[in-house]
Amino acid sequence: MKGQNNGFKIGTIVLFLGLTLWYLFPTVQLMLEQNYMESMTESERAQYVEENREKMQSLKDRALSLGLDLQGGMYVTLEVGTRQLLEELAGDLADETLRESLKVAEERAFEERTDFVSEFIAEFESRDPDARLSRYYRSDDENITRRSTNAEVEEYLRNQRDSAVNRAIEIIRTRVDRFGVTEPSILKQGNNRIVVELPGVDDEERVRNLLKGTARLEFRMTAEPEEINSAKERIFSYYDQTTDTAMADTMEASETEPQNPLLEALNPQGRNQYVFGYASGVDTARVNELMAREEVQQLIPRNTTFLWSANAFAEDQGFEFFELIGVRSQIELTGDVISEARVAFDPTTNRPEVSMTMNSEGARIWARLTGANIGKPVAIVLDGYVFSYPTVQTKINNGRSSITGLDGVREAEDLVNILLSGALPAPLDIIQERTVGATLGEASIQAGFYSTLFGLIVVAMFMIAYYRTGGGIADLALILNIIFILGILAAFKATLTLPGIAGIVLTIGMAVDANVLIFDRIREEMRGGKTLRAAIDNGYSNAMSAIVDANVTTFFVAVILYSFGVGPIKGFAVTLMAGIAASLFSAIVITRVIIDYLTREKTAEVSFG
Amino acid sequence: MRWFETPSFDFIRAHNIAYFFSGTLIIGSLIAIFGMGLNYGIDFRGGKEFVLEFQEPVDVVQVRSVLADPLGTAPEVKKFGSDRDLLIRTDAEGEISEVQSTLLASLSENFPGNSATVIKTDIVGPRFAEDLKIAAMNSIIFAVAVVFIYILIRFKGWYYSAGAVAALVHDVIIVLGIFTVMGEIAPFNVTIDQALIAAFLTIVGYSLNDTVVVFDRIRENSIIYKTMDFRDMINKSLNDTLSRTVITSVTTLFVVTVLFIFGGEVLKGFSFALVIGVILGTYSSLFVASSLVVELEKRAMKAKSK
Repeated sequence: MKGQNNGFKIGTIVLFLGLTLWYLFPTVQLMLEQNYMESMTESERAQYVEENREKMQSLKDRALSLGLDLQGGMYVTLEVGTRQLLEELAGDLADETLRESLKVAEERAFEERTDFVSEFIAEFESRDPDARLSRYYRSDDENITRRSTNAEVEEYLRNQRDSAVNRAIEIIRTRVDRFGVTEPSILKQGNNRIVVELPGVDDEERVRNLLKGTARLEFRMTAEPEEINSAKERIFSYYDQTTDTAMADTMEASETEPQNPLLEALNPQGRNQYVFGYASGVDTARVNELMAREEVQQLIPRNTTFLWSANAFAEDQGFEFFELIGVRSQIELTGDVISEARVAFDPTTNRPEVSMTMNSEGARIWARLTGANIGKPVAIVLDGYVFSYPTVQTKINNGRSSITGLDGVREAEDLVNILLSGALPAPLDIIQERTVGATLGEASIQAGFYSTLFGLIVVAMFMIAYYRTGGGIADLALILNIIFILGILAAFKATLTLPGIAGIVLTIGMAVDANVLIFDRIREEMRGGKTLRAAIDNGYSNAMSAIVDANVTTFFVAVILYSFGVGPIKGFAVTLMAGIAASLFSAIVITRVIIDYLTREKTAEVSFG
Repeated sequence: MRWFETPSFDFIRAHNIAYFFSGTLIIGSLIAIFGMGLNYGIDFRGGKEFVLEFQEPVDVVQVRSVLADPLGTAPEVKKFGSDRDLLIRTDAEGEISEVQSTLLASLSENFPGNSATVIKTDIVGPRFAEDLKIAAMNSIIFAVAVVFIYILIRFKGWYYSAGAVAALVHDVIIVLGIFTVMGEIAPFNVTIDQALIAAFLTIVGYSLNDTVVVFDRIRENSIIYKTMDFRDMINKSLNDTLSRTVITSVTTLFVVTVLFIFGGEVLKGFSFALVIGVILGTYSSLFVASSLVVELEKRAMKAKSK
């Protein structure tokens, strides 16, 4: 009976071990390949990778993957701006009441962590119980008309939010794929958040622009030079005269003579008549602040807006200078009409640019616009910055245009990517970002490896010293245990993170607990006068309830940690769970089989110290 | 080798000393926590954190003073392992990219010839931080509740649950207190962040392990020695399991110390919490949990007999 039982146990052990090795095999293969490639020269490696692309890809898919904190990469959480989305959905119908309600709802939803849409409806209805949301929202497709009830509109808005998030995910996926990241992960989190994981990426700046880039492309006429000039005179003289207290506060206390604050930040000279002035990059925020004042805004003609140039026109001692350019407020044409975009190079300067083709409707408007404005400049505005304002030479009939003044090929490529993947339905906000450089990742892998190795050695030696043969058997189980954990991780396609490795190290220390419980019990039974065989049987069975209770509670805690944790911490919880499962198996089943074999078949004296 | 083979310590008698010791630590911790405020890390406080690697060693104080002006607010600057690596935490407003470039620009201006590269960034928005904080609190409360219920079901006495949970709360408060005090003086990053919550839950799990093993023995002994006084029985159970408690503590302490020394800078705070936690967890399951169970049981029985 007992023998049969052990036969079953041995079968299970062999099965688990086989499964584990099966799942870990690709990982080992991949490591060997990578080692092999280390010895190659750059060109040999490139060729080798090319030749074995499929094999490598399949290995990578099946191998144990490393977390971003180990291989380096970027982890970003984005939030879809629901307020902006709802405001935009209302379009021209939006009024002060709506904007106010949305704003209040946004604050309240943040403070009380409730759903934004519900807060908005509640706020709107509290202002006027009889008011109808259908005043603002219409949709033929969704059958939202003037008669729609608030509940119907609410559902419509919720659907719109969900589809906006899903659309944003699709757009981001397209962009990331074109960016060339291998194995990115893009997931929806909660109502309006998107989690993006990009392994191997450490160019934060570029990725941020890529993720957030709305690529709102606008074609506008430049403002009339006379209007720009007279606005300039009026605004500077306004700041010449203004010596109100609010102004004095913001100025340096040491200055005895109050100077024109605008003049301090902005140089009024322009390279041409469309330039309001120029300022260094650090001063642009101050200029924006001064220009945004209500009194100042009244001095600017209604149809004129001042926008910054996207690129610096001059550089001096590390300072970059940007121009403030006067353009018309009216938008003639937007990026929606772009049907094709590609990177091109200016034939004379060889600088990169983005060449665009418009659809038929866009081409028609573009032809009319250029035809009517020959000799005048058209500003090409992207996300609120003027990229260039070339002068129209002839009427353009084929719907062609281009964006020049780009920093380099990379910027041109990213811009094409963003233009083609489509405009985001609502602005995205980066609410969390974590980047780990590849070198730090490598250092972490090493630290993790040494911690595991040293932890194992110390515990193993202690166990042998304390429990003799029993300790040696427990050590064997411990080593199998680590292999099992890695196998479980690979089988469940979990990622190994640095906290995950910490979890393994911790498991090494705690996994022996089950064996300590059993061996102590065996010693106790032997002290009570039992024979070795009887002591072993009793030791295992009596220690069982304590082992189960202790591990079940720890497992619960790991599950809670898993459901709460973010990113790498989840990895810790996963290895902890895998560790508990594996250590129960190896400490109870494997050691038992070995001890039974030694005492029964070999009739050896197994010492428990 | 045999340690504590047949010990007969009177753990319960030592409870007055233990209560005094624990009480002092808890009060001290609470004073520190409420007096100095919890030393939240980037996860729970929000902000921007950069780890920079310089080519040559740099002076922390100098970096701090150089950055205060351009960032608009004084940043927190700490060593991150070696002399060349610095951790800079700032609450500066504005776009991430802008802050990062301002920071790098003013460093390259002030430390010419010693260029810095960013090897790690952590940016957490205030809203996100708030969410994480709430999730963390919920997870701890939830974990404690689950432990309470599980022990209640398995050991059928609320005083067992109460004793175990009290020991857990005891451990967590003292670790928090030590972290608050150490935040000011430790040469490594000791802040309360997500990793620390993971450490807490691990400590909860570990401390519980110990406690449950003792309770299990109490349950067993109470069947064998039906007439034995509850207090003596608990004492006997503690002694019976003492060898195991000590051995497991030793092996676990080994590995967390290894982790603390070799685990790298990223895990320093986490493994430090584990080192303290393992020591505290062992102590509390020997001296706090069981003594409380005896006391609570006594009261419960008295209340019943009335």
